[in-house]
Amino acid sequence: MDTILPQIGCSGGAEAVLGIQPNSSISIAYHSLFGPHNDLMLLELDEKLLPEVLHQRVTLRGQPDEDAVLCTPSKTYAVKFVGTSNSVLLIPPSDKASQGCNKENDDKMMVASVIKVVPGCMELVEVAPKVDKLKLLLSQYPYTFGEAVSEEGEKTKMGLYRWDDLVDRLQASDEELRFGLKSLSAVEIDGYWRILDDKYMNMILDMLLHDIILNDWSINALNEDEIVGVLEADGFPRNIAKHCLQVYCDKVDEGVGVSSMWKLDERRVCVHLARDILNGGKMKIEVFIEKWRRKVPDGMSANFEMLEGEVLMEKLGMESWVYLFSVSSLPSTPAERFSILFKERPKWEWKDLQPYVRNLRVPGLSSEGLLLKYTRRTQPTAESEPVFSAR
Amino acid sequence: MHIQVKCSCGEGNCPEWAIVELQGVVEAQPSFENRLQSLQIGVLCRPSSQESYTFTIGYHELIGTKVSLKKPILVLKKIKLRNEDEEEDGGDVDATRVELDMIGIIRHKILFKTRPKALISSKGAQPSAKEKASASSSKTPH
Ligand SMILES: [Zn+2]
Repeated sequence: MDTILPQIGCSGGAEAVLGIQPNSSISIAYHSLFGPHNDLMLLELDEKLLPEVLHQRVTLRGQPDEDAVLCTPSKTYAVKFVGTSNSVLLIPPSDKASQGCNKENDDKMMVASVIKVVPGCMELVEVAPKVDKLKLLLSQYPYTFGEAVSEEGEKTKMGLYRWDDLVDRLQASDEELRFGLKSLSAVEIDGYWRILDDKYMNMILDMLLHDIILNDWSINALNEDEIVGVLEADGFPRNIAKHCLQVYCDKVDEGVGVSSMWKLDERRVCVHLARDILNGGKMKIEVFIEKWRRKVPDGMSANFEMLEGEVLMEKLGMESWVYLFSVSSLPSTPAERFSILFKERPKWEWKDLQPYVRNLRVPGLSSEGLLLKYTRRTQPTAESEPVFSAR
Repeated sequence: MHIQVKCSCGEGNCPEWAIVELQGVVEAQPSFENRLQSLQIGVLCRPSSQESYTFTIGYHELIGTKVSLKKPILVLKKIKLRNEDEEEDGGDVDATRVELDMIGIIRHKILFKTRPKALISSKGAQPSAKEKASASSSKTPH
């Protein structure tokens, strides 16, 4: 048998390889189109992700300078190429046109053709989405009062992002991106996702609280149409007025044919007011509490526990001082988060630390695992509170 | 960058591809190096009803088995599409969009983990095999 002859016989392709009968042989040959075929690549993935691919719900995302990630509607996976030193011969199914081999008329061997030798396979590892970049992108040009009242037309769209722009730039799934936008209280204005400038948010909340007093509205039954109408009259665009309701209120009744009803969210309002007070710098706790209580609207009570993850207290001599230290300003990757936490404070009690680490998510690692990995836990006596320090 | 991964075959119709994997490198004789197309590599044989296989390449024989993959492997083909609204931004950005089309799925491979074994040692025979398998025994198969 001369093995260098061009490929002969019936072409069977992958089916012939996988369905080879006992006591029989097939020939494996280079395909007539054998070559590097760099446009062909292999991706190993979990069976459960297969339907997502078949229903076109999977995308690869990333900038040219980043490693690509694969996103399903809800999850993000790092894509890593795993090379092999083995010879992996890739065999496509037979070309339907050239098939049709008459068993009786020839004793030629069935042939399966190798289209390329693959250097390796891409594999997936679930990762936490890189939403910090979202904050960075949206913080470049927060929406300000000045922009809201300025004449349309001259606005530059540089540094502003539509949904599709964000999808292009962020290594996160749609669901994670939506969640990220919500957690930043971002709002879509003229097709662009924006965060509102702090001052502007203060202004509109102050105005809302003022209007509530002025009109003698109940903070538990705010009529959407009325609120939006009044805020519009105060000079706020309609979509911003609605956004304000979403940020500081909870919907209590979905209006069908009538206006929806909202209720002021005590915690969110109180936290916002506290942040506003502490924006200028640290303050003695008594002074802060006094100012805070005075700002809080009637029917709400400010409670220091609301400020978990927003404010830290430190003792200076005999006095306790409070200052802003917001979990939302911290990076979402555990290593960077813990590094900043231990720079802020070398030792943490659990009750102080917990609000700053509870939203950390690392696929495949429990919160205990996270603490073990990034902190050193000491407990001087069995009764005392455990203390966490840097590893 | 935002690349859609899809399958145009229709539900459940994506064809199965196959992999034959062996240790080391399959080399053709230098004279054939640049024109491998349609050359035979070897003969794959299933000697019994078991999922055990031999692969004969030239005067070497490999022994292997059929393996079901724990996770399926997709065969993706990169497809360049012309961008409809390439004027946008007016820049020199690449005007082509890329999609990855799933053109096949791999669920099984025939894996030869053994080093090749010489079939014939007789010096009289003129070797006609133009491919030889050179094994690297220290590597564990992937
Ligand atoms: Zn397909």
